[in-house]
Amino acid sequence: MMNTESFGACLLLTLPEDVFTVISRFLSPSDICNLILCGKSLCALVDSEKTWLVQCEEVKVLPLFEIVQWRSGISSYKALCRFLVEVVKPLVGIWVQQNPELGNVVYVMPGFLSVVGCRIIPQKVGPLWIQEGRVKWSPVFEIICGFDGSTGFFLHGRDKEGSCLYPGFVMGIEKSCNLLQLEIEPRREKSSCNEIERGASRKGEKEGEVPFWMLAFSDRKNLLNIVTSHVGIHVVEPLNGRLFPTSKDDEAMLVERRTMLFKMHKFGGKWKNMNLEEDDQLCYNPMQLDINEMLENLGDDWFFDMEEELIEVTPTESTHVLGESSSSKNTAPSSSEIRHSNRQSFLSSGDTFGLSLKASYSELNSYEGWPYMYAHHFSLYKLPVKKFVDHEVEVYAGLWGGTFGWPAGKCPKSKPEKSLYLLMLTYEESEEYNERVLIGTKILEGKRYVRRPNGTAMFIVNIDTPTLEPFPVDADEIDFENSYSGNGIAEGYGFRYPGSKPGSLFVITNDLLAFVWQETKDVITLQRLNLAEILKKGLGSCVPPLPPTKNFTYMRRSYINEFTKSSTDPSYSDE
Amino acid sequence: MSSSKKSSDGKSSEIEEAVASLTMPFNKILLTSSDGESFEIDEAVARKFQIIAHMIEDDCAGKAIPIDNVTGDILSKIIEYAKKHVVEPDEDEDEEAKKKLDSWDAKFVEKLDLETIFKIILAANYLNFEGLLGFASQTVADYIKDKTPEEVREIFNIENDFTPEEEEAIRKENAWTFNG
Repeated sequence: MMNTESFGACLLLTLPEDVFTVISRFLSPSDICNLILCGKSLCALVDSEKTWLVQCEEVKVLPLFEIVQWRSGISSYKALCRFLVEVVKPLVGIWVQQNPELGNVVYVMPGFLSVVGCRIIPQKVGPLWIQEGRVKWSPVFEIICGFDGSTGFFLHGRDKEGSCLYPGFVMGIEKSCNLLQLEIEPRREKSSCNEIERGASRKGEKEGEVPFWMLAFSDRKNLLNIVTSHVGIHVVEPLNGRLFPTSKDDEAMLVERRTMLFKMHKFGGKWKNMNLEEDDQLCYNPMQLDINEMLENLGDDWFFDMEEELIEVTPTESTHVLGESSSSKNTAPSSSEIRHSNRQSFLSSGDTFGLSLKASYSELNSYEGWPYMYAHHFSLYKLPVKKFVDHEVEVYAGLWGGTFGWPAGKCPKSKPEKSLYLLMLTYEESEEYNERVLIGTKILEGKRYVRRPNGTAMFIVNIDTPTLEPFPVDADEIDFENSYSGNGIAEGYGFRYPGSKPGSLFVITNDLLAFVWQETKDVITLQRLNLAEILKKGLGSCVPPLPPTKNFTYMRRSYINEFTKSSTDPSYSDE
Repeated sequence: MSSSKKSSDGKSSEIEEAVASLTMPFNKILLTSSDGESFEIDEAVARKFQIIAHMIEDDCAGKAIPIDNVTGDILSKIIEYAKKHVVEPDEDEDEEAKKKLDSWDAKFVEKLDLETIFKIILAANYLNFEGLLGFASQTVADYIKDKTPEEVREIFNIENDFTPEEEEAIRKENAWTFNG
């Protein structure tokens, strides 16, 4: 019986649907769920398409017209909201790796009912590159969303014959993730799809089971290479380079591409002749691999791995199963024995092995805006971009792109294009000055040969103390709003230890900056970038990806542009 | 003040219109509530209610406008809010003024019980007074935000008609909304 004390029936039910929608805009998904849990009477009003459409908007990763467009390929706005909250929002942003030193920037953004990772290649650009959207990029990965909200992972890569897609699992995405890892996931034949996806992570490991990350580097690398060589599917149009909608595209093509991806994910290499069922879930069936074959390929040999600066010592005793030696308390197992037993344990923990992507949060230390990275892990690292609540506080934080030379637009006829620099601008508290500094961390350099390590600060200025310096170079009619003094990168001791020399940052507008080195009068002009907008103009060029494992994380230290080397280059093997 | 660019053909109604437009800011509008209470307000205040603004544009606003769906007590509160918000201060230009207004808003709503706030929401929706609709909606949302179902049931007088199994099933299905 209803309690008819003070107000009679529930006040919320007196509201027309569109008025409740206004209120729901101020609520979070968990508030909506709590309302649903209150009682059956509220469900129809609260758990409606209108409410969840507003919630999709409030996630603020996708504009309204795209939300409505995506709705046609998914069962409900609620399912779409879940995909946006659980997958899209945590992943979108700038992800980086140390190598190659010219820069390794993977920009993750919404695609079409998917989230896609696109690598921005070191390149030269013309003066109108932003307006025209002429940027070189290369596909890295995609996570697609099925009709019921289930997800599937694809790694992009290449083999000797051409571009390929490598299907796999999405192994859990933490909301505040900053580490993206490529792994191999073992599966028992009988485990269901629901166990695999939806964050059913390996936290509940049984005794003795070894997770992928604990294996030795070469084992991990070899496993990844073996699995990718087996699961790769060659791509045909329109799968090539159409990861996100551009102004040239029509929805029909994107829908067709999506269907092809579903088939590839479900049926593997033979997808062309297969048909999907109505309610097909995205459920990846990993391939069975011959364990013996894998063991053979991995082997027990020590090797001298110069690339990764990892030296394995020759085992002094013959390797045998750990069980026999560990019983003796006096002999600690050698690293080689541990490695062997870990590998055995990992390989016997499943009948099938699939490629997987995992996004987790890790306490990462950083220096001047650049995180310390684990060596020898197939990972990408997210550069944090703080969302400023008070818009006055961190006005210049974010991604900026720029070129050297002044005036910015002018280029000598002989050199119509200039090297593109991508910088992440971040604010930090400086102990030295007891106020904030603005750091411009270089994350991409468009030269042929890199001058300073990836992730070094191009400039650091005292952002809380405007100085009113005159612009040191002839600046015609340009009005500078403010200037801030500090230091810019300069010659130091070798490649890895740059020095710094005085310089100042000049603010032309909120979206246009110029940093000038005091002595040399070199100028770099920076424009605030909205990479998604630029890429979606569709006039950029898509560069073929690298072999799959390398395409995710390029391990080898390199000072040149590894992404545009020709595929006929003999040094370009899977190793 | 708008100036008529029509070529004058001497008609008296046009002159009336011109005179009316010159004196526009001083026009008073009379609103009558459903229970017969009358309120005389400046046209600028009345224009906050889009439904009346349209009537004025379309020239159907006589001196007195009946507001059939809203009682006098609620209408008086709405007019009080509208008078305070005739000119919305720009957050960038005048931070002081914005803060003062926010403080007034908080006190305004503090004195009101939930039932009155709902009536204000429905009236603001009817009158199409966007500013107040948004503000009152946020106030109601604050009663719901971050509260457990038990707390919300208490506040809004809702009967729990789920079985424990049904409740568990819904929690499971919607678990994704909760993971921090």
